[in-house]
Amino acid sequence: MRIVDTKGQQCPAPIIATKRTLKEAKKGETFLVLTDNRTSLNNLIRFLKDNKTEFSVEEAGDIWTLRITKKTAEVQQTEAEKYCNTDIPHFTQGNFIIVFSSDKMGEGDEELGHLLMTNFIKAIKDLESLPKTMVFYNNGVKLGSVDSTVSEHLKEIEKMGVGLLFCATCVKYYSIEEKIKTGSLSNMYEIAQVMASAAHIIKP
Amino acid sequence: MKIDLLKMVENGGCSAKISPVQLEEMLKFLPLPEDPNILVNIDTRDDAGVYKVNEQLALVFTTDFFPPVCSDPYEFGQIAAANSISDVYAMGGTPVIALNIMMFPSAKLPVEAYGDILKGGSDKASEAGTRIIGGHTIDDFTPKYGLAVIGYIHPDKIITNSGAKPGDCLILTKPLGTGVILAGQRLNIAADSDVNEALRLMKLLNKSGAEVMVKYNIRGATDITGFGLAGHSLKMAKASSVSITLNMNRVPLIGNTYALIDQGCIPGAAFRNLDYAEKDTVFDPDLDYNLKMAAFDAQTSGGLLISVPGRKEKELLLELKNSGLTSSAVIGNVSDFNGKALLLI
Repeated sequence: MRIVDTKGQQCPAPIIATKRTLKEAKKGETFLVLTDNRTSLNNLIRFLKDNKTEFSVEEAGDIWTLRITKKTAEVQQTEAEKYCNTDIPHFTQGNFIIVFSSDKMGEGDEELGHLLMTNFIKAIKDLESLPKTMVFYNNGVKLGSVDSTVSEHLKEIEKMGVGLLFCATCVKYYSIEEKIKTGSLSNMYEIAQVMASAAHIIKP
Repeated sequence: MKIDLLKMVENGGCSAKISPVQLEEMLKFLPLPEDPNILVNIDTRDDAGVYKVNEQLALVFTTDFFPPVCSDPYEFGQIAAANSISDVYAMGGTPVIALNIMMFPSAKLPVEAYGDILKGGSDKASEAGTRIIGGHTIDDFTPKYGLAVIGYIHPDKIITNSGAKPGDCLILTKPLGTGVILAGQRLNIAADSDVNEALRLMKLLNKSGAEVMVKYNIRGATDITGFGLAGHSLKMAKASSVSITLNMNRVPLIGNTYALIDQGCIPGAAFRNLDYAEKDTVFDPDLDYNLKMAAFDAQTSGGLLISVPGRKEKELLLELKNSGLTSSAVIGNVSDFNGKALLLI
């Protein structure tokens, strides 16, 4: 087992050594990090927790031993409930997604843009096959707000089995966390993943 | 013999500041003097105190000193002076006079080092138009140096931590990374070019930034030092009763700062600052860990964080860049308080 001895070293040296070993280690490999400095220990613990790394600490005398196990990048678990609240399960879904980067449709008059977008979202329900996922980012997230003219329609579409992903960064940026009652908040990794794996992307 | 001040210290510059958590605990028990002429005190978590002399004149009064951030005594003197004077600039004042504050291990360092530190301080003060008119030295290990500075300001034109308003844009005038690079230098993993750039930036006065602020009637600003960008932003948000959003992707970093943090080169002060700010901060789930830690990196003689109202940020940015603060960038904004004082995205 690898042992990273950082006794006598001060921050950030122990973190640098730990990070290097984490990079070198194979998946599932366990290694030890030794430190005799309480501040270094605290900072190491903080660093490992923030990076979601599995570890335990043992204390013996004036020396702490961190037992660290390398796991690969966390795989996003599919939430069962996302698929369980589908009241009407027999809608067909195509291998396409719809991306909303704005709360308006097309260039031109703002009012008209809003109206068109409302009509577009209403029309989705009547499509022969539904989108797999609808992704909302930047101004698009405002469509999901309870104040929006389409929030009820979005709820219905979600019940039909369509995943709604709202960019968490955007929702926070516009301070509307409290107002998003449908779909789920998502990160850019997931959004990029959904976009990359779709056969077609529709952008109204 | 070549003098290397860095051999004498563990935490140089503003990294040596006491933890902000401890500081707030201790200051709680200190009564604040009451006097109608005290226009700014520690209450608003500001950089300096301001005392009104008459309707046209108030004094900005501040002090700052710290252990060496670099090997060369002359350069250390320059940096320490630039850092001390910066607090006057951050409030929109004009520094006028100063006193040296020095702790010097006379048994461990040759007297030339003493002279070189003072010479560096004196030259930097001259550049700022400030006269050093005295000082005080204690024989002590490790060496520490700084100034107590008095500046002039108009009582109605004070720029404070509490002047940020919802709708304002935030501009930062110097890139971040001095703490990370200095820590990397000690471990011999920082590039010389990055160390030199960090030294240049630490020596750079915030003078031109202050002039631009005064010209545009800015009311809210602070300088970024030991508590890091996030720590000082949080203090500003609290003092102004607003929420501040920092877009870390837009924050300029010195040279290879990001790569150093990615190697794990995260100084202890960054963790200390994180502890302080955490409970009032929301971290976006997409926020990159290395950028997050950059936000908490303790800066020495860092840039100004300016709260710019009225969509004037583009004009200000241009003027700041033309005045030599070439890395100035819009890095965030101010909104109504939404439950958490600080949001890092």
